[in-house]
Amino acid sequence: MKRVVIVGGGSGATMLANMLDERRFETIVFSKSSAHMFQPALLYVAFKNANPHIIREERRLLARHVRFIEEPVTRIDLGARTVATAAGSWYDYDSLVVATGVTTDPDQVPGLRELDQQYGNYHSSVAWAQKVWANLDTFRGGTIVLGQTSPVIKCPPSPVEGMLLTDELVRRRGLRERTRLVFISPYPRPYPAEPMNAIVEPIMRERGIEIMPFFDVDRIDPASRTIYSIEGEEVHYDLPILIPPFVGADIAYEPADVLDANRFVVTDKQTLRIKGFDDAFAIGDATNLPTSKAGVGAHLEARVVAKLLEGTPAAFNGRTHCAVDLAYGKGTFVIGSYTAPVQKRRPDRLSHLMKMMMAHMYWLSLRGWLEPLFDWYFARTDPDRARPTEGVPTHA
Amino acid sequence: MDTKMATATAAPRTIVDSRGSSCPGPITDLALAYRRAKVGDVIELWATDPGVKPDVRAWAAKTRNEIVSIDDQPDKIVTIVKILRR
Repeated sequence: MKRVVIVGGGSGATMLANMLDERRFETIVFSKSSAHMFQPALLYVAFKNANPHIIREERRLLARHVRFIEEPVTRIDLGARTVATAAGSWYDYDSLVVATGVTTDPDQVPGLRELDQQYGNYHSSVAWAQKVWANLDTFRGGTIVLGQTSPVIKCPPSPVEGMLLTDELVRRRGLRERTRLVFISPYPRPYPAEPMNAIVEPIMRERGIEIMPFFDVDRIDPASRTIYSIEGEEVHYDLPILIPPFVGADIAYEPADVLDANRFVVTDKQTLRIKGFDDAFAIGDATNLPTSKAGVGAHLEARVVAKLLEGTPAAFNGRTHCAVDLAYGKGTFVIGSYTAPVQKRRPDRLSHLMKMMMAHMYWLSLRGWLEPLFDWYFARTDPDRARPTEGVPTHA
Repeated sequence: MDTKMATATAAPRTIVDSRGSSCPGPITDLALAYRRAKVGDVIELWATDPGVKPDVRAWAAKTRNEIVSIDDQPDKIVTIVKILRR
């Protein structure tokens, strides 16, 4: 029986572990924490004061035959095929899957650590998302600046979602006329992929949101409440809602060059193998793949790796499928792949409803019980087979 | 994104492989490489998304850096940018 070691306890790790046949594989999952969070819900904790019970026990999400070890992995030796934990234990593997995700790293931007502590963020923990809500809840007017502080981001739609939900909140509270909303982005436009930007930017402008493109945050001066960009601009804030930069897990690799400058694992785009190794894979946010860091990627990549481990040919096609909340009960999806540009999809209520439903379906999907439904849905929305009217290219 | 330093040319050249990226897109990889660049560096961006051309032009105009060339190759679009300001 082959031993598969999966490092990480998020959606990709959990789905993959549950997919592997217990008759063929001894599956061990290592995670530094037994708390498994449905991360997209942080948006609603931060901007709608939603129910914060979005965490479940990882052990209970794994099939009974999967061995769960709650210890942080500190070192992975790809040549020797071993992982070491903080407790000093070593484990051999036949196949390895790295699914360690990303974490926020406010220290990359001078001044951001102080703001992160005070104002929170909606990309790390329930407590930090509740800080965002606490500040929004007591806000009575002034300038709210919202945006990402690095070109590297988890969930690319999340800055736009946060801005539009902020607009909805201050309007509902009768504060909009006393509020200046400023959206900063390191990209040429609010949403980096142009076809989706063609949907979101007009909505933002219609709602009176000021957009500062090409604003890549260089440093922040909390004393004067000013954010400075690399490009030489600055903006003053009364309430900042900033998304910190992201880095990969703090694990030492041998060889070290399988990590890039952000500590993302250098991964083959199709086979998901870690650079230079046939028996080691990486999935989800932990990789350096040129796709969105989002749960759908982890899910589809877990499927590919499960097949490859079973000896069935498979390749990842770069599929993205991210729900976008456009506020006031409407939403859309960002859908694309390595070979299909992102499609322009008009907002509707059904898309928003589907995003809301995912909060309930998520826990079932981890066990693999919804795979036939996902098969049907992903085939139906396959961007490589899309009708021309849906995939309107906006670049000549 | 895959980046590596090429040593064959005089100026430090960073190759940014953004092929296959449509979301978030090659411009995000260029922005990240710019963050790490110094004045005098050359960034060579490989992309397959045709949106890279107007984006790089807008980026260069905004940041006042120089586009050395934009080259349509059979399998990719290669954009070479020289960093003049940082």
